[in-house]
Amino acid sequence: MKADNTDKLIAKAIAGLPYRRPSAGFRARVMSEIAAQVPAEAGFGWIVKASELIMAAWGGALVLLSAGFLYRVFSENAELLAQPGGLGQALKLTAARGALLSGKLAAAVSLGSDLGATVLNMMPPVYEIAAAALICAGIIKAVSGGRMAAQRI
Amino acid sequence: MSETEIELVGRCLGGDNSAFAGIVEAYQDRIYSFALRLLRDPVAAEDAAQEAFVKAFRALSSYNTAQPFSPWLFRIAHNACMDALRAGSRNVSMDDENFPDLPDRGPGVAESVSDSIDSERIEALLASLPPLYSEALQLQYREDMGPAEIARVMGVPEGTVKARLFRGREMIKAKLRAADATV
Repeated sequence: MKADNTDKLIAKAIAGLPYRRPSAGFRARVMSEIAAQVPAEAGFGWIVKASELIMAAWGGALVLLSAGFLYRVFSENAELLAQPGGLGQALKLTAARGALLSGKLAAAVSLGSDLGATVLNMMPPVYEIAAAALICAGIIKAVSGGRMAAQRI
Repeated sequence: MSETEIELVGRCLGGDNSAFAGIVEAYQDRIYSFALRLLRDPVAAEDAAQEAFVKAFRALSSYNTAQPFSPWLFRIAHNACMDALRAGSRNVSMDDENFPDLPDRGPGVAESVSDSIDSERIEALLASLPPLYSEALQLQYREDMGPAEIARVMGVPEGTVKARLFRGREMIKAKLRAADATV
């Protein structure tokens, strides 16, 4: 018998192999396993959505504050800019205001971190870990745009 | 993939989880048989098949509907079976090809094979091969997949698939020759 012929015989024999049936109730077991996982995943989805919303709100507030601040700086310096040599003066004024603001911000951050540290010291570490995990999950979801990664499934 | 299956996947993606039962119904025998021929244990095969379907459901949003559904599902089943083989501490080399030595090709591969090989015999021959070879042969001949699709399922280059198919066939021929020689 030629090798080609044997190859064909092997191919034919494998192609003709019968499919085996899993035991009765297999489909029901798969569907109940899926049904058991769906609510848990939906719950996690809501948590991630909530943290995404919080982050979006913070982002929005930051943009609004920045826009308001820039508008105020521009309107306050508009008259100054119209005068000869006013650009230099406006820049100096803005730089001074910026320095003052950054000082205030640094103080606010310091106060915030002190307050946060005090609160966290009073809480069990599990809350801190849970909050960090939620924030990370929200950031990952936001960055990935909700797409599933091409992970090994 | 038939129109019905596309619709079923579409319904699942639209939030109708019950539509997945249709997919399980359509593929349960194929996936279970595939797992059974790799794991050679009905309980382990059923567990792997169940795990494959559950994982497929969870990953359905990552499925590209422009691609055929069956290799995608078999890829998940392949991973579930490899995990089961590893868990059962059976050595499955995924990185390097550890080709077993084959005897030199003798004359008259299988005159006594006559015009066919019965399903029991081919089943036993497939079971005697290392899983990576029997898997490639199953996917090509039983599931009618080409080397490119098998490569996607097994997560190896197409050249490796072709080598596995060739070596798998050669091993079966060698076993047929050995069996004939003892008759």
